[in-house]
Amino acid sequence: MLSLLLWRVGILLEGLLLLRGFRGKTLAKYPFFFAYIAFALADDVLGYMQYWFAGWGSYAKWFWVGEFLALIVGCGIILEIFRCVLSPYPGAERFARTAGFSVFVAIAGFALIYPHTMPALSPGGTMFELERDLRTVQAIFLVGLFGVIRYYGIPIGKNMRGMSLGYGLNVAALLVGSAVRSYAGVPLPGTWNGIMQQASYGLALLIWTISLWSYHPNPVPDTSVRLEEDYEAFAARTRSAIGAVRVHLTKAARQ
Amino acid sequence: MIELIFFLLVGALLLLSLLFFTPGKPKGRKDAKPLAEVQQALDVLQFGLLSPDMVGRIFVKKDFDYVMSETTREVQRFFLAERRRLALAWVEQVHRQIVSLRRFHLGSARFYARLRFLSEMRLAWDFATVLFACRTLRAAVYLRGPYAAPRLVGATTAAAARVCGVSEKYLDFLRPARMMSFGDDSAGGSVE
Repeated sequence: MLSLLLWRVGILLEGLLLLRGFRGKTLAKYPFFFAYIAFALADDVLGYMQYWFAGWGSYAKWFWVGEFLALIVGCGIILEIFRCVLSPYPGAERFARTAGFSVFVAIAGFALIYPHTMPALSPGGTMFELERDLRTVQAIFLVGLFGVIRYYGIPIGKNMRGMSLGYGLNVAALLVGSAVRSYAGVPLPGTWNGIMQQASYGLALLIWTISLWSYHPNPVPDTSVRLEEDYEAFAARTRSAIGAVRVHLTKAARQ
Repeated sequence: MIELIFFLLVGALLLLSLLFFTPGKPKGRKDAKPLAEVQQALDVLQFGLLSPDMVGRIFVKKDFDYVMSETTREVQRFFLAERRRLALAWVEQVHRQIVSLRRFHLGSARFYARLRFLSEMRLAWDFATVLFACRTLRAAVYLRGPYAAPRLVGATTAAAARVCGVSEKYLDFLRPARMMSFGDDSAGGSVE
């Protein structure tokens, strides 16, 4: 009952969000994000109709296809945050891109080694495990992205803050849910786990609806110091200054 | 079970990063006058906090020896408490100026398209360790008193000399870029 209620509320919020995106002209500003919402709405409406007319068994077959596609389309939200927040800051963007690529290489390497060192995936839990692993990759990318934004003190507007918060909460809840399911083998519908995932998605939709009600661009940086010379020299000088202070403070602390 | 814990930890890490990432208002470092800010931080370090006179007055034992030999126990206790407070305030100020230097670096580097990932990582490490050293020093002064580190004067004076030398070059490096940006502004470029 609660599950159905959350489902209906989710469809309503997705529709409202798309409507607001269209009327508030945010749809063109955040195309990846609204593509995700449009996909989620189509997925939910079709799934709901299937459930209504053909019953749960028929819907369950469709569920994983929709879930997997939503996961892929959801990566667009990470791209959206990356594009909108970091594009005015080429240095921070480059740093985040390199960090992201390094993480990707590390994960790809781990994925190649993992099957040879660990027991095979359990056949029944393969989809849970796949979802869990992909959500983990998303979570690591988000943590890295938020870390770079925080480290460089990049200001963020209301739209981006809401988009990040909503998607981050949703990914965290889905990751925890899929990890617990793949460990305990709990089936999805009607359990606390399924309800928690639906509720977290509902919360994310609520956050998105409020924060993306109208267009709030990211604050534009006022000034920038233009570093015309070699960056390496700039970094080395700062490093040298910090190194000198560190050595002396460490010495002093030991005395 | 270990697998489950790992995935739960990643989820918790994401939630924690959300807590730090989404404060109530849009957060950002002030962009205005970064060069003036770093110059001020360096001046405070060079001519104030790390000057031999000030460091000597706070940390050298001469005053302490005099008070110990000439005054009552109550005065000695008061003197020690005051000196400790002063020393802690000094470490706190050094910490603050280093944070200011870091802010300046990050505020500049984030705009630089040819930024090097490894150099940034090393710098991040350097800043983190210096700030950690400051905290360690603060703990040492708090626990063992201002005279627990008698060679502090020499060490900090040497640090001041080195930091000043490096900082002057550092600012010389940035000033031409600043001038170029003013030139661009007059030609209709970005306004600072």
